[in-house]
Amino acid sequence: MSQAKAMQAETAGLDALSLQRRMEIQFEIEQFLYAEAAMIDGREYRTWLDLWTEDCSYWMPIRRTVTLSDIDREFTKRGDMSFYDDDKQSLTMRVAKMESGSSWSEDPPSRTRHFVNNVRIAEIEGDEIGVEVAFLLYRSRLNTEESMWAGRRVDRLRRVDGALKLCGREIYLDQTLIRATNMSTLF
Amino acid sequence: MDLVQEPERVPGKSEIRSCFDPQSGTLDRKVFADQALYDLEMQNIFARAWNFMCHESHIPNPGDYFINYIGEDQVIVVRDKQGEVQVLLNTCRHRGNALCRAEQGNAKSFVCSYHGWNYDLNGDLIGVPGLSTYYRKDFDKSQWGLAKAAQVDHFHGFYFATLDPDAPPLHDYLGEVGRIGLGLLVANGPVEAVDGVQKNVIDCNWKIAVDNLFDWYHVQYSHASAGIAGFMDIAAILHPNNQMVMFGEYGHAIGGPVIPEEKQAEIDAMTDEERLAVAAAGMLKDPTKPVVPPRLSAARELLGPTGVRCMGHPNIFPNLWVSTNGTQLSLRLPRGPFETEIWWFTFMPKGLPEEVRKKQIAFNAHLFGPAGMLEQDDGENWSQSTRASRGVVSRGYRHHLAMGLGHDEVMTDAAGAARVETTVSEHAQRWLYRNWMDWMTADDWADLKANHSPVPQGRV
Repeated sequence: MSQAKAMQAETAGLDALSLQRRMEIQFEIEQFLYAEAAMIDGREYRTWLDLWTEDCSYWMPIRRTVTLSDIDREFTKRGDMSFYDDDKQSLTMRVAKMESGSSWSEDPPSRTRHFVNNVRIAEIEGDEIGVEVAFLLYRSRLNTEESMWAGRRVDRLRRVDGALKLCGREIYLDQTLIRATNMSTLF
Repeated sequence: MDLVQEPERVPGKSEIRSCFDPQSGTLDRKVFADQALYDLEMQNIFARAWNFMCHESHIPNPGDYFINYIGEDQVIVVRDKQGEVQVLLNTCRHRGNALCRAEQGNAKSFVCSYHGWNYDLNGDLIGVPGLSTYYRKDFDKSQWGLAKAAQVDHFHGFYFATLDPDAPPLHDYLGEVGRIGLGLLVANGPVEAVDGVQKNVIDCNWKIAVDNLFDWYHVQYSHASAGIAGFMDIAAILHPNNQMVMFGEYGHAIGGPVIPEEKQAEIDAMTDEERLAVAAAGMLKDPTKPVVPPRLSAARELLGPTGVRCMGHPNIFPNLWVSTNGTQLSLRLPRGPFETEIWWFTFMPKGLPEEVRKKQIAFNAHLFGPAGMLEQDDGENWSQSTRASRGVVSRGYRHHLAMGLGHDEVMTDAAGAARVETTVSEHAQRWLYRNWMDWMTADDWADLKANHSPVPQGRV
C-alpha cells in the first residue's frame, strides 16, 4: 500500500484498516517503544528527549487505595496534584539534571529495565496514534535497593516528517504508596 | 534485610540526656538506630503531641473520611452527621481489624469486614450481628465504641488531634512560633486542599527527615543539580546573609531565609492590588520559578512583625513541615527506626486565577515528592546516614551539629517570639534535639509543661 493510500485509510480510523496494515502499524509502534525503552535503560537520555515533540505532555497522577464505591476518585485528575506534570521544558530539565555531574540520586546510576507489554493501538486520528501498554519498570540501585513499578501507560505518538515522535504519556501506576526512596528514573 | 532487634529495655533519663549535648552541639547516632528509643518516642512524643490530621477541605461533607496516623496508630478522621470532625482509632474493638482500608472516601458508617460490627461516624457501636442469638443479649454495645482521640481541634481549618487528655489546648501547644508556622499557609487568605497526597517510603529514621527541613546548608550541594539544570537558582533562594531561626516552646522552630526589614518596608508600602500583580506577573513570565508573592497586607496582623518577614521552614513538633512558602505540608511518619513515610499535602488560596493555580501546582510537583527535582536527592542522604548509624563502631562517632553555636544573640519581639537573625546555621536542629530530650524524659504532660526547655535568651 502506498504511503498516501495508507494515510487516507488511517484517517478513516482504525476499524477501516486492513489486517495487514494494522499489523504493519503494530510492528512499527512496538519497535519504536522497544527502542525508546532501550534508550532509557542505556542512559541515552538526550537521544530519548529528542523523541518528544515540543508540545508534549508527560503526566503521572497519584493513585489512591479507595473502596469500590469511591472508585471514580482512584486517580487524581488533570490540574490536581500528581507525581509528574511535565512538558518539554521540564523533561529537558530532568535530563539536564542527570547530565549535571551532581545528580546524586543517579550517581552511582540506577540500573533500570523497562518491559513494555500488551501493546494495543487504541485509536488512530490523522497523524496521531493512541497506544496503551502495560509496563514493568525494574530498578536496582546501589547494592541493596530494588524498586518495581508496574502500571498502564497511555502513549500518544505523532508522525512528524515521516518519523514517529512521542507527544503524550500518561502513567497510571499500580502502587499507591510509592515504596521507593525516590523516582529518579524516567518512565 | 532483617532488622537487628535490640533486647527489650526502657532507656533511662540519663541515657536520653546523653544523646544530645547542647554545649558541644553533638548528637549520639543511637537516636537514629535504637529500637528502645524508637518505642519510647511512640509513647512519649507521638501519643502526647498534637498531630496533624488533615484540612477541613479534605472532608467537607458528612461521612467524608481521611486516614492518617498518630505515631504508628492509624486513625480515621471523619466528619460525622452533625458536621463535627471525629478522630477514631482505626481498629475494631472486637478483634482489632482495621475498619477502613481505603486512604480516603465517604462512608455512612464503618462496618468491620471480619464479623460485621458496625460503628456510627462518631464511633458509637450501633450494630453487632447475632446480638440476641449468639451473644444472647449479654453484651453492652455502649461500652464498646471506637477509641477516640482525647482532643481534636483546628487552626485556620487545619485539624490536629492528640491522644493525651492532659495535652494543653492546640492554641497553647503551638505557641507564637507554631501559630506563625501554620499561619504561613493562610497568609494570603483562606486555602483549600489540592486533591492528591503524594506518599512514599524512605528507609531512614524519621528525625533525620525532620531535621533536614531546617538544613539550609545542604541545599547548595545536595541540590546543586537542580540549579545546573535551570530549575531554580539555588544561590538565590539561600539568602545566606538573611537567615532567621525562631525558637518555639515544645520544640517548634522555623529556620531559613528572612525578608530584610528594609525590603519589608517596601512591601508594606504597596497596595494589595500591586502585590497581587507582582505575584501573577512573576509566575506567568517564568513558570519554572516559584511564586514568592509579597504577602498581602492582612498577613502582617496574622503573622506579626517578625512572622510576616519569615520565608523559612517551620516544623510543628514533632513532624509537620510547612513548606514551599506555605503552599505545602509534609508529614514525616515513623515506621520503625529505619523507615519513614513522607506525605505531601498541597494547598492553594481560594479564588486563585486558574492559570496561576495550574502553574503553581505543576511547580510544586516538580519541586518535592519522590520525583521532585529537589527531593529526589534527599532520600538517599538520609537512608545512608541512618544505615551508617547501625555499624557498632560508626555509631560511636557523634554527629556534629555545632554550626554557629555561641555566635548569635536572641532577639525577642513584642509578641514574644524569640529569634536569631544570622547566616546559615544549625540553631534549629539543636533546638529540635534539645526538646526531643525534654519530651523523652518527661513522665507526663504535667512534667513536660513544668520542665521543658525555656525559649532561649541571650547568646546561643
